[in-house]
Amino acid sequence: MVNSNPVPPPTPDAGEAAIRAVGLVKRFGPVVAVDGMTFDLAPGRIYGLLGPNGSGKTTLIRLLTGMTRATEGTAHVLGVRMPDRANLARIGYMTQGDGVYPALTAGENAQFFGAAYGVEDAAQVDEALRLVELADRAKTIAGTLSGGQRRRLSLACALVHKPPVLFLDEPTVGVDPLLRVQFWGHFRQLADAGTTIVVSSHVMDEADRCDELLFVRAGKVIARGSGGQLRAEAGTDDLEAAFLRFSGETAVAA
Amino acid sequence: MSPRRVRALVRRVTVELRRDRPSLALLFIAPIVVTGLFTFILRDASGPNLRVAIASGGSGPAAALISGRLDGALTGAGMTVTQAASVDAARSAVQDGSASIAILLPADLAPGKGSTITLLTKGLDPSGDAGQLAAVSQAILGGIASSMGTALPSLAHQTVYGTPSSDPMAPFAPAIVAFFVYFFVYLLTGVSFLRERTGGTLERLMATPVTRGEVVTGYILGFGLFAMLQVAILLTWALVAIRVPAIGPLPDVAIGLGIAVAGSPLLAFLVVLLLALGAVSLGIFLSTFARTELQVIQFIPVVLVPQFLLSGVLFSVDSLPSVLQPLVHFMPLAYAVDALREIFIRGADLSVADVQLDIAVLAAVAVLFAAVAFRTIRRDVV
Ligand SMILES: Nc1ncnc2c1ncn2[C@@H]1O[C@H](COP(=O)(O)OP(=O)(O)O)[C@@H](O)[C@H]1O
Ligand SMILES: [Mg+2]
Repeated sequence: MVNSNPVPPPTPDAGEAAIRAVGLVKRFGPVVAVDGMTFDLAPGRIYGLLGPNGSGKTTLIRLLTGMTRATEGTAHVLGVRMPDRANLARIGYMTQGDGVYPALTAGENAQFFGAAYGVEDAAQVDEALRLVELADRAKTIAGTLSGGQRRRLSLACALVHKPPVLFLDEPTVGVDPLLRVQFWGHFRQLADAGTTIVVSSHVMDEADRCDELLFVRAGKVIARGSGGQLRAEAGTDDLEAAFLRFSGETAVAA
Repeated sequence: MSPRRVRALVRRVTVELRRDRPSLALLFIAPIVVTGLFTFILRDASGPNLRVAIASGGSGPAAALISGRLDGALTGAGMTVTQAASVDAARSAVQDGSASIAILLPADLAPGKGSTITLLTKGLDPSGDAGQLAAVSQAILGGIASSMGTALPSLAHQTVYGTPSSDPMAPFAPAIVAFFVYFFVYLLTGVSFLRERTGGTLERLMATPVTRGEVVTGYILGFGLFAMLQVAILLTWALVAIRVPAIGPLPDVAIGLGIAVAGSPLLAFLVVLLLALGAVSLGIFLSTFARTELQVIQFIPVVLVPQFLLSGVLFSVDSLPSVLQPLVHFMPLAYAVDALREIFIRGADLSVADVQLDIAVLAAVAVLFAAVAFRTIRRDVV
């Protein structure tokens, strides 16, 4: 399933795909950060964007969330062409950095981002904090939280409005192993409830927690499939080796 | 524009600032200390601690009489006077700093005879010298002119507006207040917004339905609230003088600068507030070009110092070199300083055309800066 099928031009309700990219290209001057990506992502699944630093994962997520305009191609989320400000109320985005206000308490951060998404219900804000097990730190100033706690707070701020689509940019970087297990537990729970989740990572050891993987290299999706499928296709037990195999293939093909 | 989201932004900005002690001190205490110091220096600089050495070239009765008169007049003006043994002794007294100015009387000094009295200063500090020369010349005129046998006419000073104030701070106060509000509001907003950019929270905020217009509005309102408090406190400090009677060994003091204001303090408040709202947007705008907080500070000499020099804060706009004059029209601060002087000294109200123009320009600048800030919130982002 390398470089999945060519997709018909998207209609306003882009079929069943929660996320659809068609011929996405993003150039920064001479740098081609995203170099022609086309894919459909189905609802209620966890997708892993795997690739080394600088391969274009963050840029892809920023294109899909409408944070930056594509040089070429289109992105649709839940059938709406991005960028679209109103549609952002249905999207959660946990950025690569923590992106929380250090002077505010954990509770104030969650409340503020809740209000930004239109959530005025205090119970829903509390629920987000409980989900990441920060309910007891609600009154702690975010700047004094530990790194892992801040990461959890960042996650709470991204899902306080219960979005059906969630983008998580390297959510587990700098997070201790125990917390990682918890994070993945949350992600699975959300996906089971119908949330589409896109998780980027530059490490392979979390890959098998995703339903499907997209290997990203130099702005291109070089392979797509479940961890098992990709290993089988590459003829190796090691995903790392599989990635290298696919990289070599495209390098030869190119 | 959603009022709820703007309210959330305003609340966030104010909570953040309220917890930031150093910034609060910068906003509320620093301007009071600086304006207080400025006033103290201006009001108490000249006169009292001038040390004058008098040396006479001749030794006749006329010389003795005149130097005696002079001594009396200078001492009466609050200066410390010493008689130097010779012109050379007076010169070295000025050189080593034991005297700040020397009066050298010529040997041929006599009533009814044209002769030159020389005033000798160190020359390292031209503006300080000028102040001393004026004070000493004044005393010479008053003290010895009549004994020289020439009746000099005396000068009187009147002004169209107000009275010729003996308070040297009066013309400076409005300008200094305006400048410091501008300065501190810019600095604080610039640094705050830079943190918003570099801390990743702006990117995150832009990934919510919040619009750029709401962000700028939230900032203007949030920082505007603090600016309002700052202006109110600073103006009160500048205008009142609450006498505290002497307690035990402590002398009586006045709290506040007690600067006279002929017009409406409320109108002055509005003018400074408009200026401050422009400064909020200027801070947002300039933070685009900074990567670190230090760089926000580095914009001060580029953006604020020229305004300080060209807006009539210290140097009168009319006395600027003619090539620089056109630039004055591009300095928002100049309009605030002009309006405030009109209000403080002339007692102008809103019916005065000058004040109307100043306020209109300040409002237009605030709107323009807000629009520019809006444009620059996300350069790459949509
Ligand atoms: N705003 C930008 N301006 C210029 N180059 C950028 C910008 N954002 C990303 N890039 C470049 O695009 C490429 C992909 O970056 P990124 O998407 O951050 O990769 P990843 O998230 O996979 O590490 C890199 O070469 C990076 O330097
Ligand atoms: Mg990245």
